[in-house]
Amino acid sequence: MGAAFQNLLSVVTFLPLVAAFVVLLAPEGRVSRGIAFWTSVAVFLLSLGLLWQFDPSSNAQFQLEVNVPWFESAGIGYHIGIDGVSLLLILLTTFLMPIVIASATTTIEHRQKEFAVAALVLETAMLGAFIALDMVLFYVFWELMLVPMFLIIGVWGSENRVYAAVKFFLYTMVGSLLMLVAILYMYWLTGEQGEARSFDYYAFLALEIAPQVQAWLFAGFALAFAVKVPMFPLHTWLPDAHVQAPAPGSVILAGVLLKMGTYGFYRFAFPFFPEATFEYRTLLVALSVIGIVYGSLMCLAQRDMKKLIAYSSVAHLGFVMLGLLAFTTAGVTGAVYQMLNHGVATGALFLLVGMLYERRHSREIADYGGLAKVVPAFAAIWLVVTLASIGLPGTNGFVGEFLILSGSFVSKIPGGKVWAGAAATGVILGAVYMLWLYQRMWQGKVVHEENRSLRDLTFREWGIVGPLVALIFVMGLFPSPFLGIARPSIERWVAQLEKANPALAGDPVPSNPVGERALRVEAVTGPRGAVPAVADPDSKPRAIDPQQLQQGKVRITDVVRPQVR
Amino acid sequence: MEWLSAMNPAEGLQDALRWIVLFPLFGAAVNGLLGKRLGRANVHLVACGAVFASFVISAIALYTVSFGDVSRITDQWWRWFSIGNVPVEMSLTIDRLSAVMMCVVTGVGFLIHIFSTEYMSHDEGYWRYFAYLNLFVAAMSLLVLGSNLLVMFVGWEGVGLASYLLIGFWYTDDAKAFAGRKAFVVNRVGDFGFLLGIFTLVGLFGTIEFEQLKALSASITPDTVLEAGIFSGWTLGAAITMACLFLFLGATGKSAQLPLYVWLPDAMAGPTPVSALIHAATMVTAGVYMVARLSFLYAWSPTAMATVAVVGALTAIFAALMAYAQNDIKKVLAYSTVSQLGFMFIGVGVGAWWAAIYHLVTHAFFKACLFLGSGSVMHAMRDETDIRLFGGLRKEMWHTWATFGISTIAITGVLPLSGFFSKDAILHGAHANPNLFFPWVPTFTYAIGLVAALSTSFYMWRMFNLTFHGERRGMLEHRAHEGGNAMVGPLWVLAGLAVGSLVWGLPLSGGARFENFLKPVFRAADENIARMTALGAQKLGVPVPPPPAHDFAAMLPGYLIALVVALIGFGIAWYLYLGPGKDIPAKIAQGAPALYRAFANKFYVDEFYQAVIVAPLSATARFLWRVVDAFAIDKLVVNGSAVLTGWIAQLFRYFQDGNVQRYAVVMAVSAVVILWIFLG
Repeated sequence: MGAAFQNLLSVVTFLPLVAAFVVLLAPEGRVSRGIAFWTSVAVFLLSLGLLWQFDPSSNAQFQLEVNVPWFESAGIGYHIGIDGVSLLLILLTTFLMPIVIASATTTIEHRQKEFAVAALVLETAMLGAFIALDMVLFYVFWELMLVPMFLIIGVWGSENRVYAAVKFFLYTMVGSLLMLVAILYMYWLTGEQGEARSFDYYAFLALEIAPQVQAWLFAGFALAFAVKVPMFPLHTWLPDAHVQAPAPGSVILAGVLLKMGTYGFYRFAFPFFPEATFEYRTLLVALSVIGIVYGSLMCLAQRDMKKLIAYSSVAHLGFVMLGLLAFTTAGVTGAVYQMLNHGVATGALFLLVGMLYERRHSREIADYGGLAKVVPAFAAIWLVVTLASIGLPGTNGFVGEFLILSGSFVSKIPGGKVWAGAAATGVILGAVYMLWLYQRMWQGKVVHEENRSLRDLTFREWGIVGPLVALIFVMGLFPSPFLGIARPSIERWVAQLEKANPALAGDPVPSNPVGERALRVEAVTGPRGAVPAVADPDSKPRAIDPQQLQQGKVRITDVVRPQVR
Repeated sequence: MEWLSAMNPAEGLQDALRWIVLFPLFGAAVNGLLGKRLGRANVHLVACGAVFASFVISAIALYTVSFGDVSRITDQWWRWFSIGNVPVEMSLTIDRLSAVMMCVVTGVGFLIHIFSTEYMSHDEGYWRYFAYLNLFVAAMSLLVLGSNLLVMFVGWEGVGLASYLLIGFWYTDDAKAFAGRKAFVVNRVGDFGFLLGIFTLVGLFGTIEFEQLKALSASITPDTVLEAGIFSGWTLGAAITMACLFLFLGATGKSAQLPLYVWLPDAMAGPTPVSALIHAATMVTAGVYMVARLSFLYAWSPTAMATVAVVGALTAIFAALMAYAQNDIKKVLAYSTVSQLGFMFIGVGVGAWWAAIYHLVTHAFFKACLFLGSGSVMHAMRDETDIRLFGGLRKEMWHTWATFGISTIAITGVLPLSGFFSKDAILHGAHANPNLFFPWVPTFTYAIGLVAALSTSFYMWRMFNLTFHGERRGMLEHRAHEGGNAMVGPLWVLAGLAVGSLVWGLPLSGGARFENFLKPVFRAADENIARMTALGAQKLGVPVPPPPAHDFAAMLPGYLIALVVALIGFGIAWYLYLGPGKDIPAKIAQGAPALYRAFANKFYVDEFYQAVIVAPLSATARFLWRVVDAFAIDKLVVNGSAVLTGWIAQLFRYFQDGNVQRYAVVMAVSAVVILWIFLG
């Protein structure tokens, strides 16, 4: 037990793979389904243990690190470790998997056992990619993800599944191969610059690469990740994949797989090649903002609801990329949060679409209409998820979007105010297409007779979407526990880029004219912590009892003090 | 009464303010989740009780900040998140301004809840209705009480959601669902501006707390060229103007000003008590409240102030003109609301902060009364809203007639009801406005304001006369009946308030009561205006204008003009719709059909937006999808590269297809060619 506890990260990562083999041997039906489901639940609970082992206040770049030689002669090691960002993404993955597997019991109609195997293998691959700190290890997990996803789309998809599966596979594969070339070149460089060749993350990070070379290597990495995000104009595989994939597949695809791209930028592409990053940043910012506006406009023209949600993912991931590229604490925090939010909200949307599809076997928006009268609870849940998706305050979407937009507005991106302003039009367009979708599906009169007999959410379906809906509100109202995990890592990350180019990265100083009197709010010791109050010139002076002050009963205090810089 | 004096409400309120928000929020949750099973009486009890509880706390708060020894109390709730280093606190603050607003919101809100219990008695979705209405009160409380811009924004979007849900309450009607969606989307355009305004202030000052911004605003020097941060190279004044204009864009959305007013007339699709509460008395005044909240910042930007005043004036006259030819009783009131909100923006735009808030309060009373009155008429007339079919209802609905009449006198600004004093305070402020950089603004806003006041008088009396006087013109077989106590009671309370609130506006020595009451709140703004005026005078080389005269004698001419204007409007309306000139309106409509149609069709603004924004947007979307996405990117480039690869592969396949004869032929031909090249 002790060893398992020490290697919890590896246990969490490989338990699904082990379970996949067990499921393979188990009989079809309840037993295999049960093993798959309860394993994924166990993985989730174990991953909560990571939360306990992880120390957000630590100064180390990575925690829970394991680094053992693997193919020593080739410089390949089993090197894993996490920072706050990867921890959050691991939790997102392990949280979504039980939901996905539970939803598969009804949405997947044949070869349920094989589906469970594919899902479990996929879970290991995704978790592995989030923990890998060795480039070969990362690449193996990265490519391993393709196989089960390819099968999920190609075997359990809709009418045009083979086309979509092949397109998905080839598209991401081509991008990845260029990344492989870049990795191999850098591997060779480590030998040139150090004692031995190595695939280790730290070795790659320490490389000093000439700017022209950086540009090519960055392009190789960026292409692989940009396809996965997907960034405009590399996005066309996504609508096909989403439309054809079964609902649980779409949930994994939108919920976790897309974040591989943004995570790749965060972990590898930007830190490895800072000069090239700054060189091409404006281009990437432009593509992100185009992705937001373009993706939203695409949504306005769709008749297939899954396609609409897929294009909305392009817009949402555009926000994430913009936040990352801001290189400010606020922007990157927002980007990381938005990755989680998108997993929760879009995941929930795809689950709901799957439940509708089970009832009605249609993805056409025009086949619905007026459903709120027939299935009111379903409509209410859909509306809540819609509101999270368009970022209404109180839901998680708002916190992410707000941090991204404010973080990029105040960032040192050249013309950052204009880019952020252009991106903020996505806030308007999001409301346009999501509420239009809501009206076309749920409001108005019932036009199709067969819709009159639809069943409202069942007890089991409540169990599937309930946790996601609860999380929408919890994450919207109390984001600090989540953000607190990632914040120190993000601050370090931003500081590193700021060191590379202080003129283009890092947190802004307020343009506050009263520079010498920079406003700082002093924390007032009291039961509630900091109180941003200032002297109230309109109050009559009141004698403050020192005893009360000590007990924290009095909190009205003058805290604006001139500070000399 | 000893226990009362022993209590220190200021300390208690530090933890109690949140309950103003929480009571209605719980009410919404209980009714929304369990309402179907609770039964009608319990739903009413929960909804009305929750709002009443909020009202009690608000009243205690108002009492405390008016007579206690602190004028501002903050309830520190929890830290929401941080924008980089800028903390975002979920905290609530009550001062005299927000206390007045809260009492209006929860007080009028409570009355409208009571009215609704009878008005919605025939609707099976009543529990949903009350859940939404409570949700609205909760969100509006957040908006008003928020001690920073972001908490205000939470409420801002929250009331937008409640408005969306209530406008589209009868969602099976596609037109109503569309009206709700239109309101939400148009408001989102405003929210876009609000967000950018917040970002600007974050970049400029590194804080979003009102009190901190207020403290910082005292030491602003507009001509300083900034050196640090994202605004380096800008002057401070320009950056502040940008923030103020972005925030004002938000205000034009929520408060239905030009160019974003178009959602409000359509919002009348919702149940009438909703129109009274949300789309007349409270939510739509949020923009005015926001500008007043940030008055200390607007004070530094003459450009933004002039913009606010001019947009307000233009909206006031434009909406009043559109109200001329409306025949829907609710639409007339909707345009009237837009117009009156324009008046309030004139007030905040010229620095007459208290007058704007005073008009906001009196307007909340009489306009809520008017809307409930129209609801009472609709309730009696089988939901008919066309005033051409009414007439002579005075005989059948005495209570509605009387309260409607009192409110009409108030809104048209006839002495001595509250509307007279509040509207005249704004006009007086417009006249005395010392905006040195835009010297034409005072005359412009004052003149337009007078014309708008005349128009208000005209269209309100037109509607009143057509509805309640003369002879019934339609639905002759239908006999109208007055509602029960739950409907008549709120009407009388509101009418009473519309009369009673005049005492705050009486021009006693040293300014009106309400002016003195709000002075502490607006002290910073007034000081900043004085500083800005001194700076401007120095810059332009003109003497500093003296402060406007405040005594009764100086204001008397203004009072007389306003009164005459109101009476002229009344006279015209009487002459055309009750007096000898009854056939003139029809003659005008026939004589100048284009003009009449332009009025009746609201100057084709909706059609204009449809043609210039909505249609091009969806056409662009279809074009981008069909041509760029599906064809150029996907078919040509993505699948094209696959096809190309296939072709190349086919070419190479030719060389290794296992056909030995072909290999032999190729070898032979190649050999010949090579030999020929080398030997030939």
